Amino acid sequence: MAQEQAVPSAAIPAAAEYPLRKRPSPWQNVLKFIRKKPLGALGFFLIFFLFAMTLGTPKASFGVPELPNSPLGFELGRPYMAPYDEGENFKNAAGRLNVHAAPTTDHWLGTDGSGRDNWARIIWGARRSLFVGIWALALATAVGVSIGVISGYFRGWLDTGVQRIMDALQSFPPLLTLILILTIRPFTSEPSLVVAAFALGFVGIPQVQRIVRGVVLQTREQQYIDAARVIGATDARTMVYYILPNIMASIIVVFSTGLGVVILAEAALAFLVPQAVPPEGASWGLMLDQAENDGLATHPWAGIASAMAIALAVLGFNLAGDALRDVLDPRLRLG
Amino acid sequence: MQQYIIRRILLNIFVLFLVATMVFAALRIDSDHVVNTKAQGCFTDVTGDIEQCKAVARADLGLDASILRQYWDYMTDLLQGDLGNAFSNKEPVLDQILDRAPPSIELGLAQIVVALFVALPVGIISAIRQDQWIDYILRFFTIFFLGIPVFVVAVFVILITSRYFGQDDAFPFVSDWLGPHGSGWVNIWENPIQNLKLVTGAALVGGMATGAIIMRFLRSQMLEVMRQDYVRTAWAKGLRERVVIIRHALKNALIPVLTVIGLLLGSVISGNVILETIYNIEGVGFYVTFSALQFDYPVMQGIVLVVALLLVFINLLVDIAYGWLDPRIRYS
Repeated sequence: MAQEQAVPSAAIPAAAEYPLRKRPSPWQNVLKFIRKKPLGALGFFLIFFLFAMTLGTPKASFGVPELPNSPLGFELGRPYMAPYDEGENFKNAAGRLNVHAAPTTDHWLGTDGSGRDNWARIIWGARRSLFVGIWALALATAVGVSIGVISGYFRGWLDTGVQRIMDALQSFPPLLTLILILTIRPFTSEPSLVVAAFALGFVGIPQVQRIVRGVVLQTREQQYIDAARVIGATDARTMVYYILPNIMASIIVVFSTGLGVVILAEAALAFLVPQAVPPEGASWGLMLDQAENDGLATHPWAGIASAMAIALAVLGFNLAGDALRDVLDPRLRLG
Repeated sequence: MQQYIIRRILLNIFVLFLVATMVFAALRIDSDHVVNTKAQGCFTDVTGDIEQCKAVARADLGLDASILRQYWDYMTDLLQGDLGNAFSNKEPVLDQILDRAPPSIELGLAQIVVALFVALPVGIISAIRQDQWIDYILRFFTIFFLGIPVFVVAVFVILITSRYFGQDDAFPFVSDWLGPHGSGWVNIWENPIQNLKLVTGAALVGGMATGAIIMRFLRSQMLEVMRQDYVRTAWAKGLRERVVIIRHALKNALIPVLTVIGLLLGSVISGNVILETIYNIEGVGFYVTFSALQFDYPVMQGIVLVVALLLVFINLLVDIAYGWLDPRIRYS
């Protein structure tokens, strides 16, 4: 004790001798991210590209976010990246439709069975996949996480009751629920993307909440939750400020996996039940369905194009989700 | 624990009742649809009146009684183990489901097994070798298989095996194991080899996609667990890497994995319609989807109930396993 006091104050260096490390610029951070997480960077690049595909000139007409071309409430014109309209057919020199063409400089990914440009239709279809995927997952995650956290945190009778209701919902085969919601007349008079997004999100709720609840059950037994209770945090505060940040890694994984699953599910729905989704407009799932009908073995280009679009979108969301999870992990700082 | 299990089993009976009521209600919201579809087939020039056709169709489908009466009949039949007759061919639904359940369950289980063979090694390696090349390569390919729609993978696998490994080519056993079979279902107890040949291709294709989902949850949780104090203690004690990773880390990382497997089992058994169609396996998924498209109410009700019966017990097992994997989770 005496020795500590004896340390002369001159021995403590002035702050100026230890300058603070310069804060890295945002660009340096991005470069570091690309270097440390090449796969994550690839994922984010694919997502940015996917969003860029949907961009188009906004039109003046505002309305319900009904059409795939108006995901935000206002209608978008032709996507900047799309060289052609989604339904434009091409005639070759002989005056016939240029169908099932292999890739050329005019048609980068070839043409489909009706002579439409595959690349242009992939670009138009991106709106639909993103629209359905993001809205469905937003619904499923918001509702699923709330239910899962509350149910796992309080446990007891509340948990038992909620989980048994979720058991009941979960026992409906997903495709059956989708077909039911999409065809029951009170919900929809004609095929609608909003209803499709709602239905896909609804199907996801029991699954999201089950995963979240499992993690919450484990988290709520940790010491820092006891500590939070000791310092007098209310239940709501514990859930929002202590449990939620600690299960964020799982939520990110759920969200990014789910987005891929929903994009696939929309494609599968269009593939299996074409009458349940709006037939007008380009959709990756409908493209694949048509390519399958035309014969994947003999005319593969439309099928390859749409399957690759779906695969790359799913890959992008999953890789970006993994990287985001790693970066936000408090136990593991980048760099 | 015993009390908990008994209470859960009693609750499960209530859940089944709830499911039966929900599916009944969901289908009766809009029963005009199926009646109109059926009535379209009748000759209006003979009976003269479409309304009359509808009345006949309604009576034929048993939809003419009051809704409470229908519900009462449905529930009393159910308690006697009678799921009713299908609208389409008037055959008992229960018999058809019992015929179709074994292929679906076997395919579902085989698919989960394949998925685990993919997910466990890839998940563990990509977590303990985080951000190294092996992590990138394994993860990229696993997730890529999740991305490609399963019907595209299946079609290309079948194309390649039938074109290059057909009966006249060098390795016919490849298409024998991986391709679809035209023949009907073979019971696993009668001819196990032939039975496995029927499901292997579908299980491999489906399992690759499902494996990626399990892998991502496992990797995420492994990363979390590997930095816990008790794992550091295990390293400090000088335990071998294998013991630390498998016994100390993996066991604690399995909770989300188990949840996902439970979820997948439910959807895989009743939702494998694409694989069952392509590989010509007459299972439940195929049956329920095409019944749903034809609004075959008794079939839909029956399958939802049978799936619910399986699912509530899978969920009970999953909840019990939580407590076994992490003893801090207790059920009172």
